[in-house]
Amino acid sequence: MSKKLKTAILGSGLIGTDLMIKIMRSPYLECTLFVGRNLQSKGMAKALSLGVKISDQSIDAIVKDPSCCDLVFDATSAKGHAVHAPILEKLGKLAIDLTPAQVGAMCVPGVNLKDCRGLKNVNMVTCGGQASIPLAYVVGQVHKDVEYIEVVSTISSRSAGPATRANLDEYIETTENGLKHFSGAARTKAILVLNPAQPCINMQTTVRATVAKPDMEALIPRVKEMVGIIQKYVPGYNLVVAPTLENNRIIMMVRVQGLGDYLPSYAGNLDIINCAAIAMAEEYAKNA
Amino acid sequence: MHKLLIHDVTLRDGSHAIGHQLSAAQVAAYAAAADKAGVPIIEVGHGNGLGASSLQVGESLLPDMEMITVARKNISRSKLGIFIIPGFATINKDLKPAVEAGADVVRVASHCTEADITERHISYAREKGKDVYGVLMMSHMAPKETLAEEALKMESYGAQGVILMDSAGAYLQNDVSEKVSALVRALTIPVGFHAHNNLGLAVANSVAAAEAGATIIDGSARGFGAGAGNTPIELLIGVFEKMGFATGVELYKILDASDIAEKELMKVLPFPKPTSIVSGLAGVFSGFSKHVERVALEYKVDPRDIFFELGRRRVVGGQEDLIVEVAIELSRKKELK
Amino acid sequence: MSQTAIEKIRGDVEEVLKDSAQLLAPLKGEKILITGGTGFVGTWLVETLAALNDQLGYGVKIQLLAKHASQLKARAPHLAGRKDVSLVDKDVKDIIEIDGDITYVIHAAANPDNRLHASDPLRVMGVVSKGTESALAAASRLSGLKKFMNISSGLIYGPQPLALEALPETYSGGPDCASIMSVYAESKRFAETLCAVHRNQYKMPVVTARPFAFIGPYQLLDKPWAVNNFINDALRGGPINILGDEKTVRSYMYPSDMAFWLLRILAAGESGRAYNVGSPCGVTLKELADKIASNFTPQPEVTLASKSFKPQHRSRFVPDVKEAETALGLKIKVGIDEAVKKTLLWHKAADKV
Repeated sequence: MSKKLKTAILGSGLIGTDLMIKIMRSPYLECTLFVGRNLQSKGMAKALSLGVKISDQSIDAIVKDPSCCDLVFDATSAKGHAVHAPILEKLGKLAIDLTPAQVGAMCVPGVNLKDCRGLKNVNMVTCGGQASIPLAYVVGQVHKDVEYIEVVSTISSRSAGPATRANLDEYIETTENGLKHFSGAARTKAILVLNPAQPCINMQTTVRATVAKPDMEALIPRVKEMVGIIQKYVPGYNLVVAPTLENNRIIMMVRVQGLGDYLPSYAGNLDIINCAAIAMAEEYAKNA
Repeated sequence: MHKLLIHDVTLRDGSHAIGHQLSAAQVAAYAAAADKAGVPIIEVGHGNGLGASSLQVGESLLPDMEMITVARKNISRSKLGIFIIPGFATINKDLKPAVEAGADVVRVASHCTEADITERHISYAREKGKDVYGVLMMSHMAPKETLAEEALKMESYGAQGVILMDSAGAYLQNDVSEKVSALVRALTIPVGFHAHNNLGLAVANSVAAAEAGATIIDGSARGFGAGAGNTPIELLIGVFEKMGFATGVELYKILDASDIAEKELMKVLPFPKPTSIVSGLAGVFSGFSKHVERVALEYKVDPRDIFFELGRRRVVGGQEDLIVEVAIELSRKKELK
Repeated sequence: MSQTAIEKIRGDVEEVLKDSAQLLAPLKGEKILITGGTGFVGTWLVETLAALNDQLGYGVKIQLLAKHASQLKARAPHLAGRKDVSLVDKDVKDIIEIDGDITYVIHAAANPDNRLHASDPLRVMGVVSKGTESALAAASRLSGLKKFMNISSGLIYGPQPLALEALPETYSGGPDCASIMSVYAESKRFAETLCAVHRNQYKMPVVTARPFAFIGPYQLLDKPWAVNNFINDALRGGPINILGDEKTVRSYMYPSDMAFWLLRILAAGESGRAYNVGSPCGVTLKELADKIASNFTPQPEVTLASKSFKPQHRSRFVPDVKEAETALGLKIKVGIDEAVKKTLLWHKAADKV
């Protein structure tokens, strides 16, 4: 095998720390720098304990030493990535954006992994988007006229931090855009529900579709095939209700359990984005 | 006796009872009648609030904005209210156009433990100079201390009152007294109560709320609302008048309005049907009932079993998709037997 | 420690568990992490859990986390060497992750020694504030977390008004936040607020215990607390010297009761609630000194260091424990007289290594 792709992580919070652990497991990637703002943070301590080089210089760490990495995962914030994106572009770094900044093209590995290879900056849409867009895409592939796609995601309250809660509107808009883009549906709708039940529930996503002539015979095997593809990069992704017609509408349901690397296993909603980001980075590595 | 603010949810919660199929003519007819009766606030929109028209909870016949426009035209004295749940509705798509179309009163709701998601929407409505209230839904699911904490968050966001919703119709009178008085003690702003009649206690619970210090009470004509319905507004006005609470609503005219509602809006009068009773006992959102009945029929399972299973899973409003999963699971179990 | 001393403790624990162990049934088969697990509170918790495992097959797994947890091997090998006990040497402030199969966390790490509060206040504040934050953050990532119990302190109430017989959990007084003597109490208040935020924001099941004063085995006699001084004085043959006002009122709980109460709060305490843990029976320092003296022949003399003290310095520190009694079915099983007697016998046995 060729050399591993050198990657850096911006953002030393839960998402960044979890990414680091996933990178260290990858046969194609290595984490050469873990960047935050605060050397005292738990993420930094974790990185040190794993022997990963750290910096508290934020984006400057990469500006000062551009050879440190080929690819940067941005797990800071939408505002952060808006600042980082042009800098990374100038440095010629690949950027995988896990924030809702929407600078680059939307990347959903189950659907457009190969198309993204040539892009310098991709964004990972939203958690509900990663869970639902591949299914909506299949609906759009099987049916010509998709009138409407609707996605409801329910996540455990504990997995929704203050930033998620403050940005529900952005979540909805971004997910709806993604659904429309990949499925070709005339109308799309995204709904997000928080459930505080104890013990924490796993992320659940339901996709419904209104199409002129539902072709379930063609749809079911295609959906199962897509679930298989997703499971290769999101092992905790499971089809709990296979496509079925209910009230003359297509409905299917998936549940996502996290890997429990650094993020807890109930946070399937956060894990799925990280898994998707890793899948994209590995694709870059394989074609480097 | 303190003065009560009566909030009329006929044209919003009532929407659940007929699968969100209110027409423009129906909205016009009832809004005009309620306005004539001096009902202070008339709320309109999809049963789950603006922007909630969906396969998940039911699609509206009339788009929210048309409903607002029609109601606006037929109201002169009353304030026009809207209801939104962040997660369903967004500021750009729903709240902003509604405010521009003339909504006066905005209620921003969340599941009773998730008040933080209302911050931005409450702030927006307040900045636009609207009357804005926070709503804690499914409030039977959290202890009074938690409800007080969540209500205090809404107060800190600028809500001018917080309404406890018994969305599942699961409260007994003691629960009402305990929870409403906890909020009255904790908050400096008014407290409201919104009942459902699953256990036949809507009026009694509304009275208990007023006695515990609530000053905003929700009602709907003939109790037109989700599941077993809400508190009949005409009954509320009568009972409160007898008790000596001032409401400012004219008795004869609200009685007339309720007749109009029965004639123009309802296919059947709401009452606690067996499935609604079970839904109240299981503590499941009243808005689920039409979906549960439909799905139970489709998958040939007992709707009561679905309700109890949903209750066991502690589902919240907006999780209507679980109905199908539970029904499929129950029908599989049935086949195995 | 002598075998007799170890057996005495096991006897104490069994006495408290008798007819009441079922109150701890929810803990069967669970894995419990105790931060600060090798201190006075932690050691007694382990003694009690060990008895539940040995006598009733509870199958509880216990993990003790402390800066120098391995030192327990020398101090209490009968606990440190058990198969159901594991030790983690880590400062609570530095916790990043905890074992994913942990279902209960008892956060007991703190140093209640008031000499340290005076001489190294920043360290005390750091352990309580950063330690609690770290423990909560790590626990919030446990999928199977059933309860997080924060061991706070009765000191968070600040001075008890003399007119108030006992402090209920709802008492809203507090210490003087600008005083250097409030370091421990204020940190503990901050820790309780941290717990409230995690409970509210991350929907974690968090319960709080507020311990008062204790008398019993494993308490180091070098601590400058009245009861320790008295015991120390008495064991040395007297006289028992009362510093300050002899009418000062305290109440003392025996640690086998304390451990049982804490485990019951862990098992059944309601999330968001705080429960006082202590004895509701107040005694004056004079009465306490006399009780200790009466266990010796000849009886040591009880003396007063000073006869002139100011009435405004008179103090009282007694918990109201009705909440624990009514909501959790707890009661005091070891009264003060018996507690004093047991404590003295244990110290005598422990010294005979």
